Amino acid sequence: MLSSAERVAFILLVLVCSALAFKGFARMVKIVRRGRAAQRSDNLICRFAEAFIDIALQRPIFKARPVASFFHALIFFGFSFYVLVNVNDLLEAFVDGWSTIGGGPIASLFNLASDLLSMAVLVGMVFFLIRRFVVKPKVLTFNPSVKLHPAVAAGGLRKDSLIVGIFILMHVGSRWLGTALHLAENGHSDPWLPTASAASHLFAGLSPAALDTGVHVCWWLAMGLIVLFLPYFPRSKHLHLMVAPVNLALDRRSPRGLMDAVSDVASPGAKTLTDLPWPQLLDSYACIMCNRCQEACPAHTSGTPLSPAALEINKRYTLTDHAAELASGASAPNLLDAATSVDAVWSCTTCYACVRVCPVGNEPMMDLLNIRRDLMMDGAAPDELAEVLRSLDEKGNSFGDSPRKRARWSKPLDFKIKNANKEPCEFLWYVGDFASYNPDCQEVSRTVARILTAAGIDFGILYEKERSAGNDVRRTGEEGLFESLAEQNAAALEACEFERIFTTDPHTFNALKNEYGPYGERYQSIEHYSTLLLELLENGSLKVGKRLGGRATYHDPCYLGRYNGGFDAPRRVIEACGVELLEMPRNRENSFCCGAGGGRIWMKDHDDMTERPSENRIREALELGAIDSFVVACPKDLTMYRDAVKTSGNEGKIVVKDIADFVAEAMELG
Amino acid sequence: MAGDVLVLAEHFGGSLGDITFELLGMGKTLAGEFGGTCTVALIGGSDAMAEELGGADLVLRLGGEELADFNPEPYGEALLAAIEAKAPRVVLIGYTSMGMDLASTLAVKTGRNLASSCIRVEGGERITTTSQLYGGKMDVRSDLGTAPCILSVLAGSAPADAGRHDGAPTVENLDLPATAGRVRFKRFIEPEAGDVDITAQDILVAIGRGIGSKDDIEVAEELAEALDAAVAATRPIVDAGWLPKTRQVGKSGLKVKPKVYLALGVSGAPEHLEGMKGAATIIAVNTDKNAPIFNVAHYGLVEDLFEVCEELTEALEDR
Amino acid sequence: MDMTVLLKRVPDLVEDLEVDDSGKALDEDSVSLKLNEFDDHALEEALLLKEGGGGTVTVIALDGEDVDKMLYTALAKGADRALKVMGGDPDGGNQALAGIFVAALDGHGGDLILTGVQAADDRDGQLAPRVGALLGRPCIEVVTEVNPGDGKVTVHKELAGGVVAEYEVDLPAVLGIQAARQTPRYAPVSRVRQIQESATIDTVTSAATEGAGFTVVAMTPPETGEGAQMLDGVDELVKVLDAKGVI
Ligand SMILES: Cc1cc2nc3c(=O)[nH]c(=O)nc-3n(C[C@H](O)[C@H](O)[C@H](O)COP(=O)(O)OP(=O)(O)OC[C@H]3O[C@@H](n4cnc5c(N)ncnc54)[C@H](O)[C@@H]3O)c2cc1C
Ligand code: SF4
Ligand code: SF4
Repeated sequence: MLSSAERVAFILLVLVCSALAFKGFARMVKIVRRGRAAQRSDNLICRFAEAFIDIALQRPIFKARPVASFFHALIFFGFSFYVLVNVNDLLEAFVDGWSTIGGGPIASLFNLASDLLSMAVLVGMVFFLIRRFVVKPKVLTFNPSVKLHPAVAAGGLRKDSLIVGIFILMHVGSRWLGTALHLAENGHSDPWLPTASAASHLFAGLSPAALDTGVHVCWWLAMGLIVLFLPYFPRSKHLHLMVAPVNLALDRRSPRGLMDAVSDVASPGAKTLTDLPWPQLLDSYACIMCNRCQEACPAHTSGTPLSPAALEINKRYTLTDHAAELASGASAPNLLDAATSVDAVWSCTTCYACVRVCPVGNEPMMDLLNIRRDLMMDGAAPDELAEVLRSLDEKGNSFGDSPRKRARWSKPLDFKIKNANKEPCEFLWYVGDFASYNPDCQEVSRTVARILTAAGIDFGILYEKERSAGNDVRRTGEEGLFESLAEQNAAALEACEFERIFTTDPHTFNALKNEYGPYGERYQSIEHYSTLLLELLENGSLKVGKRLGGRATYHDPCYLGRYNGGFDAPRRVIEACGVELLEMPRNRENSFCCGAGGGRIWMKDHDDMTERPSENRIREALELGAIDSFVVACPKDLTMYRDAVKTSGNEGKIVVKDIADFVAEAMELG
Repeated sequence: MAGDVLVLAEHFGGSLGDITFELLGMGKTLAGEFGGTCTVALIGGSDAMAEELGGADLVLRLGGEELADFNPEPYGEALLAAIEAKAPRVVLIGYTSMGMDLASTLAVKTGRNLASSCIRVEGGERITTTSQLYGGKMDVRSDLGTAPCILSVLAGSAPADAGRHDGAPTVENLDLPATAGRVRFKRFIEPEAGDVDITAQDILVAIGRGIGSKDDIEVAEELAEALDAAVAATRPIVDAGWLPKTRQVGKSGLKVKPKVYLALGVSGAPEHLEGMKGAATIIAVNTDKNAPIFNVAHYGLVEDLFEVCEELTEALEDR
Repeated sequence: MDMTVLLKRVPDLVEDLEVDDSGKALDEDSVSLKLNEFDDHALEEALLLKEGGGGTVTVIALDGEDVDKMLYTALAKGADRALKVMGGDPDGGNQALAGIFVAALDGHGGDLILTGVQAADDRDGQLAPRVGALLGRPCIEVVTEVNPGDGKVTVHKELAGGVVAEYEVDLPAVLGIQAARQTPRYAPVSRVRQIQESATIDTVTSAATEGAGFTVVAMTPPETGEGAQMLDGVDELVKVLDAKGVI
């Protein structure tokens, strides 16, 4: 189809653009390789196969935003098919006489698919352009105090989106138009090309010469453009279509609740971009800048300067700015200069929502944790946090209270709980800081003790030998303190005789289950009390005589639910007590964090905070209409939500309860 | 056993501090028990101050105007000279910022025993003191025997009234010894105007949600004014934007240790207690007799805070 | 400026302190010791001075349980040298302790000695002025800020009611620190653990010194009942305020 001159021109264009693009991609690979080591290369075939299936089913993207995801699927399937279309168009251009129009059944099916999918892409793309440029949803804007790369602040994302949008429209549109002209040239319509045929009638009056020129122009616009676009790829968000699959294939396979081990003891965290493990550098290239992570982020939602999306975007823009130097080994910019701010780093609740929701497998939270490790090593923790850490170091609890008073909550009970340090017991109950020291939580601890006693369970606690398990300590970046706490706890536990171990605290649950591996195998079998209560209810040890009635909603604690998949047991416990359970819109994997995790409960609210995550959540619960109780299965949640009910002025409208409260009521315990 | 008492007068900004009269009252009682005299050492003081010390048997004046501003070095030398001149059995010094510079230094220089943080002193054959130690968690009684000693006494341990007597005391002047001049007084820096530093207040009127609305904060402010106190608050009050963050007491606010903490409509959440349980005296006013604040309060009043505020403000203004 | 910071461990007040069978001392089982919080501020101020104008910081403490960790923590924060005095009696009072420290420092201690303004167990005066007097150096207590000068320091001393007095003090001198210019820094355990591997603590043997010349005859918790004493009306409240000397 193409003239010889056109063919030469096209080949030259491919050579030049490929060379330029190759340079960009080569730099990218070099930069990613500068990141610190990470174990992601096991089972490569399996990894890519799984990623392929996930992507083919559009699974990662349908985790949130169903409407936008639908339109993305249109573009995705269209674009995927366009690989074949582009190959076909090259053949048409270079092989004289090659054409699918009027061909056999395969060619016809191909035509039908290309025709319909072209429409799908165009419709999808128009949707996204309207969304970004006309509707302008709030989720695409950042809180005012979020640190942004200057180019982003100047509207770089909009520009890039527009370029990508126009590219797609032109590429697919021209190809489709070319087909229509071609049909007009041949003077007939083709039932296998319904939309192109419809359009071809518009050109009925044009001369054959004009039509031929049109076909050539359209070919160049479709195929030339894609070649021209190649060098722009590494600079654009559109890169995600190549990097996202790789990123998804090379994703983390360790448990969500296990933080990476420190690779360099002298500098445990990340100060500069290249101090990050390489998958975190790859993240920034995979980022499609959709802000889904930011939308799920409790820190951003509550008005603080943290946006996980901005973090990835800033990283990306910075890497692009300095690509040449970085690829040749120059020292990388500091993360706190280029990517995010100190306030943002300390605003993260480590809720994992951003990681969970990201369609391309990014882990912005891991960057924040790495920066925290670095800040912590420099002793640069916020004052209030430092004070709590000091108390955890000196006293083993975050309350600054005496370790000797750890089991005081049990004093009002009319029985004495076994001292597991002194006598064997079937169940060892790891109580945790909040359940031991906070008065509201102590009440729940006593309830749990009464329930277990009524069920005839043989259980004991560690009394003053128990220390904070260190889950959140580790997430503030204080690796050494975490180790020291874990060593002390493991030593205490080693000296006890027990068969099973459980805890009332999801944070403790996560630490023992996922992070106490180096200190002993048996901690991995730790259970959350929701599972234990359910077991006892189901095997009849707990007799719930009364059906409580009433309507409740349940809040998934991050470290039980999203981190460890503990979604069902608490719900079933609630229902077993005869309470009707209503789900909030954000539930299970999409549950919204209370704002306490990652050490946040020990720090001041940020000045920019407009609404605490816990208050936002109470609002969500109240929007369900007639519910009586807001049920939790985590001591920190109990304090956070009781406080939020008060501060949001909703006292009397809803009662915050622990699942154990229901069980005790249904058992008609004292 | 006979003996005299020497009391160090403290003054600032041209007037004698309460501690002086507290010590003087204490010193007179002691001197009475010893059958001796009670002398006040007035370093760098004025005639007007001397006249206020009518309760003393003797006012020993060392220096004048030139030493008006406290300086530990010349004050220490002067007090040493006074001790050497009068050889008292007991020297009473306030456990105050000024007194802390002097008592221990003089104990070393004179070789005397020193008991600090005293809240009670019993004279007689032997001298016995009670010191408040371990953050007020223990009273420690010490036997200082018959040897001459120095006692540093906590402010507020004795009523100041007992030491206030007008009249013309006998005044004796003592020459100032020379000093090395290694410490030079430069200036006083007054606390910054603007918002109050609640950590530096003797009395705090703390309000919780019991106050109900922003407009009613006025009630607490009036009381605070009458008490010469500042208004502090729980977090909900600050959250609501009714008072600035600098007034918040507690876990996520400031930690305060005033002499008196008057909690009005504060439930006593642990996050709040964390910030104020170190206060010397906690008085709680709450309509709920089971409010946890009463577990940490030293005094409690189960009443409506508005009534208490009003009555108390009136009572104070009448005084 | 070469500085020495005197560190002392005191009973942690979060514990429910109890009196032992003698009725004269704390029951050891009820006590856990921690660094005197004001000493921590003294260390912080010394570190700030070092960071601002150079010099060295030496920390010194009596031997005892967990003292090594305390000294390593000081090194992790930025102190240059740690000195541990063996064999001194930690309950001997400040008179004895001042003598021990002065002897351990060979009557020297560099240009500036800093320590906490007071400690929870001070029954015979404060450490800073005692050390100052033994060394014949000027001492200022209740210091909230130190600014170095040529052969001198300018200090802020807090008086009552928020008023601060500024003094110029010739070196060598001794200061009792009330509060450092900033909250004492946190030494991450990660770093303390590293320092433990690489640094050493020097030791000296305690000199015999004279202790407090008087004895404790009784120790009792102050007489206040459990919970609040309930008042009946505002009149009684006024009386309480009066008794506390605040009106
Ligand atoms: C992580 C975290 C950090 C926190 N940090 C802080 C902090 O730094 N500081 C802080 O204060 N809180 C803090 N809180 C909040 C704390 O838990 C409590 O919610 C808060 O202290 C309660 O404040 P309040 O006593 O004013 O209110 P409430 O608990 O509502 O108490 C009001 C009281 O007023 C009484 N009352 C009502 N009307 C009257 C009347 N007319 N006369 C007399 N009494 C009346 C009521 O009986 C009640 O006891 C924090 C909470 C969390 C979870
Ligand atoms: S972990 Fe949670 S709080 Fe932290 S950045 Fe991600 S979504 Fe935000
Ligand atoms: S990190 Fe993931 S969720 Fe966040 S903006 Fe980038 S692609 Fe979207």
